[in-house]
Amino acid sequence: MTPVLVAAGLTVSFGGLPVLSSVDLTVGDGEFVAVVGPSGCGKSTLLRALAGLLAPGASVSGEVTRPVLDGGRPAVAWMPQRDALLPWRRALPNALVGARVAGVPAAQARDRAAALFEEFGLAGFERAWPHELSGGMRQRLALLRTCLAGRPVLLLDEPFGALDPLTRRRMNAWLAGIGLAAGGAAGGGPGRAVVLVTHDVDEAVALADRVVVLGERPGRVVLDLDVATSSVPREALLEALVSPAGIR
Amino acid sequence: MRTRRVAVGAATVVVLLAAWEALVRARHLPEFVLPAPSQVASSAWRLAPLLAHHTATTAVEALAGLAVGTLAGWLLAVLVAVLPVLGDIAHPVVLLSQTLPTVVLAPLLILWAGFGPGPKVLLVALTVFFPVLVSTSAALRAVDAEHADMVAGLGGTWWHRLWLVRLPASLPAALGGLRIAATYAVGAAVVSEYLDGDSGLGVFIQRSRKAYAVDQVFAGIALVVLLSGVVVLAVVLASRLATPWQRASSPS
Repeated sequence: MTPVLVAAGLTVSFGGLPVLSSVDLTVGDGEFVAVVGPSGCGKSTLLRALAGLLAPGASVSGEVTRPVLDGGRPAVAWMPQRDALLPWRRALPNALVGARVAGVPAAQARDRAAALFEEFGLAGFERAWPHELSGGMRQRLALLRTCLAGRPVLLLDEPFGALDPLTRRRMNAWLAGIGLAAGGAAGGGPGRAVVLVTHDVDEAVALADRVVVLGERPGRVVLDLDVATSSVPREALLEALVSPAGIR
Repeated sequence: MRTRRVAVGAATVVVLLAAWEALVRARHLPEFVLPAPSQVASSAWRLAPLLAHHTATTAVEALAGLAVGTLAGWLLAVLVAVLPVLGDIAHPVVLLSQTLPTVVLAPLLILWAGFGPGPKVLLVALTVFFPVLVSTSAALRAVDAEHADMVAGLGGTWWHRLWLVRLPASLPAALGGLRIAATYAVGAAVVSEYLDGDSGLGVFIQRSRKAYAVDQVFAGIALVVLLSGVVVLAVVLASRLATPWQRASSPS
């Protein structure tokens, strides 16, 4: 499997406070990796580092290798934990920000957006202002925006945190079904991949091929488990992931 | 709530005008010292066509200056955001220009830009320029990291961040500066008309004063106040139209 996104010996600290400690992570072509761990273990920092978005104040050692498209355009799209919708744009224009940034032709982006609004349960809200939408709707809109950028590699920071259980299940199904295809820039270039940060172990196991567990701050990889091919029953796996004994 | 505020404000003005009228009549003050509001109104009515002409001149100068000054202030703020060294260069000059009172600047502008509306528009523009520049600059500096990171995280460039995030995010503050500037615009136009010109409310007030037609002076002043109010109101309405998401988020 060709590696698409690689972090090697990644150590990050903010003002002397270590957040990540020598994290090694390789995401292969076509792989869906879930990163789980307790709050404050550096999951979001890891994702930011993978996206190349660490704050200027961070001291970083180690290496991150990001894929690029032809012409050096970035191949990664990152979705922040908070939706970061632009308050001065209605829902549809907000969704099109991703496509706009990626240089996707407007007509093509609109067609895809129309289909995804339907699929994400946002149809009819195209002209709503962000503040008129519920937290769950905002989050789905943010995911939609990220997908419309058409980048082959998606970095999603708790994309379903604000969703009710039912909607969450539906969005999980969507992500599991076409998540990898969704990033698709047509043909060629680097492979597709999804890195999903979540605090929901169940979600991680259900969606991902691999589950990476980060330990308490400073975050380091304490378990890197292939759940796609694992013969361990799901319940036992969940148990192993959540119990400290299983992590060791 | 709102109608009550408007009603109380209107009532206050009416009471003040009535008190003024009563004072003039009770004391038999001569018209060339302090005319009563009714005398001012009747002379304004008598001179209506002339006043309309002068008011139009001042309105055009104020609005043109407002447009030029706003555009220049906004443009410089954006340029400084793009190239911060420009800010270091412009800062002392802009600051110095603000310490110069309008009245001392006006004769020079007339000397350089000639008679006619040119120097007046320029003077209004200079007055308006500063508040717009300052408020827009501050807003452009206060980048919302959350939004900028989002655009960067999608692979956006510095230009994307400027165009999609920083510029629209600075719009409400720029309009706030414009609202402040709008209150100065008519006043600046009138001051420049005091110094020269053959048309405008400033010219009319000066001529009336020299003729000891105090009722006409008051009529001119009333029109300056009204015109200022109309310009501010127009700017407030325009800025509401330009930022519909803000109106939607704070229903009053």
